[in-house]
Amino acid sequence: MANILETIKEKCIRGKRVEVIEEVKRALAEGVDAKTVMNEALIPAMAVVGEKYSSGEFFLPQMMLGARAMSEALQLLKPYLAQGTYERKGKAVVGTVAGDFHDIGKNIVKIMLEGGGYEVVDLGVDVSPEAFVNAVKKEAPRFILMSALITLTMDSMRKTIQALESAGVRKQVLVGIGGAPVTQKFADEIGADFYGSDAHGAVEKCNQMLH
Amino acid sequence: MTPRERVMTALRRGQPDQVPWIENEIEEPLQIQIMGGRTDYTPGELCRALGMDGFGYHFPTGRAGAASQALQTSASMKESFYFPKKITFDFVPPWIADMGVEPGGRTFVKKGLLVDRDSLKLFDAFLPDPDHPARYEQIAKWIEQYREDYAVYARIRLGTASLIESMGLDVFSLMLYDDPELVKEMHLRFSEWTIKVLGHLNQLDFDFYWANDDHADTKMPWVNMEMYEEFFFPYQKMVADAMRKPWAFHSDGNLFPILPGLVKLGMNAIHPIQPAAMDIGRMKAEYGSKVCLIGNIDLDYTLTLGTPEEVDKEVKERIAVAGKGGGYMISSANSLTDYCKIDNVWAMSKALKKYGKY
Repeated sequence: MANILETIKEKCIRGKRVEVIEEVKRALAEGVDAKTVMNEALIPAMAVVGEKYSSGEFFLPQMMLGARAMSEALQLLKPYLAQGTYERKGKAVVGTVAGDFHDIGKNIVKIMLEGGGYEVVDLGVDVSPEAFVNAVKKEAPRFILMSALITLTMDSMRKTIQALESAGVRKQVLVGIGGAPVTQKFADEIGADFYGSDAHGAVEKCNQMLH
Repeated sequence: MTPRERVMTALRRGQPDQVPWIENEIEEPLQIQIMGGRTDYTPGELCRALGMDGFGYHFPTGRAGAASQALQTSASMKESFYFPKKITFDFVPPWIADMGVEPGGRTFVKKGLLVDRDSLKLFDAFLPDPDHPARYEQIAKWIEQYREDYAVYARIRLGTASLIESMGLDVFSLMLYDDPELVKEMHLRFSEWTIKVLGHLNQLDFDFYWANDDHADTKMPWVNMEMYEEFFFPYQKMVADAMRKPWAFHSDGNLFPILPGLVKLGMNAIHPIQPAAMDIGRMKAEYGSKVCLIGNIDLDYTLTLGTPEEVDKEVKERIAVAGKGGGYMISSANSLTDYCKIDNVWAMSKALKKYGKY
């Protein structure tokens, strides 16, 4: 079993989606359960992809390729996972804050979170503080992750945290922020729980927060 | 020296009488603030107000200010490209994309439309005829009317930013593997459009070109060197070879991983050397003998959230680090956006007068 899981992991890291699907099917046929494939091959593969991206060995296209292989394998596994006891690590609500329409960074974080075993609710761009508050009430996520690309819109992060506090739901979630002009200093200033310097960093911070 | 001589000297990595100031864009609402609410000023009046040495981009021309023209697009924009209503010096193709407009008027890409081979037909639908004479004739008149002693530049694209924005970064990334020849074909089409435009621009009285082609974020470029050399460089080089004037290259973000390949294009200058992504001291040491450096006054914090004192300090530091021996032009690390603090823009102007003399 170890061999086939290692093969799936390696092929996923290299983004060989057709081969990953074939190997996953073979693993299932050989009696390996879907949860094991997720936890011992696909999630570790995306951790490696994230580390390689973070260290500068992988560039965006290589990361996207690995993420696509992971995502397609996940689609194949979903019916099996639903039958078993597999649980995602947690739910994260992501969005680009009010007044900001840039979604590249937010989308990369979303891909890496899904690859890391999280369930992600994507609120899109120009997300108002009220929409984040409503998402907390409706989705009961563990994390709220906010993105901003331009300095002009960073203050929407502060306003969103204030809105979460006013609505009495701030303590129900962990708030992470990121984006080109965002810094740890700013995260501290506005009372965010953490700052992610890149997509992999955001996932790592979420993982740390869970422990 | 005249402002124009100052810019051209720095572009050739020489040392002018003082560090020149040039911006890739000043968003119109900020221009109007600088000009005390007027909208009918000339480019030269704006330059004189700030102590700036050249211009390109666009001006309100007595109308309401728009945040940006460079990103505007629609299948029906050809007429407005041929017959511009406002003074402009831009020759960038539209994004082939579904665009949105923010409440303040700034446009953004909702979704790139170049997603498969079938979408190649959209090039004809979106790109204006590069040989239509009207825009060139009008802009030739504006250059003659407004150039005075200033350096005047045209903003163009090598084609890479057009490719990435029109595909979407996610589609682009995967298409490199799924259909690499399609990516090349799309880049070629954008580059060929600019080459045709350059055939006309080379005859006009522009002093230099400014090629705006983002392909990096603050972490790293969106492609590695191998991908850069295969997918971007050959088409960028075709455009570079068609330029008959000096030129500056613009990309936000961290370019260091692909810079050894990028500089082979032979540009005269690199902009904006974003402080969050690139160290200008390293740039000066490693590339200062090859290219003029433009930029590095921080837009993420200093100009937008900082104080006039912080702007003063930053201008002083940048001139000390990058200005040595010439080959440096001061500039914001992207553009002067309408959310820059006006006091900080004035502080930049004053600081340059204080520290900019050689």
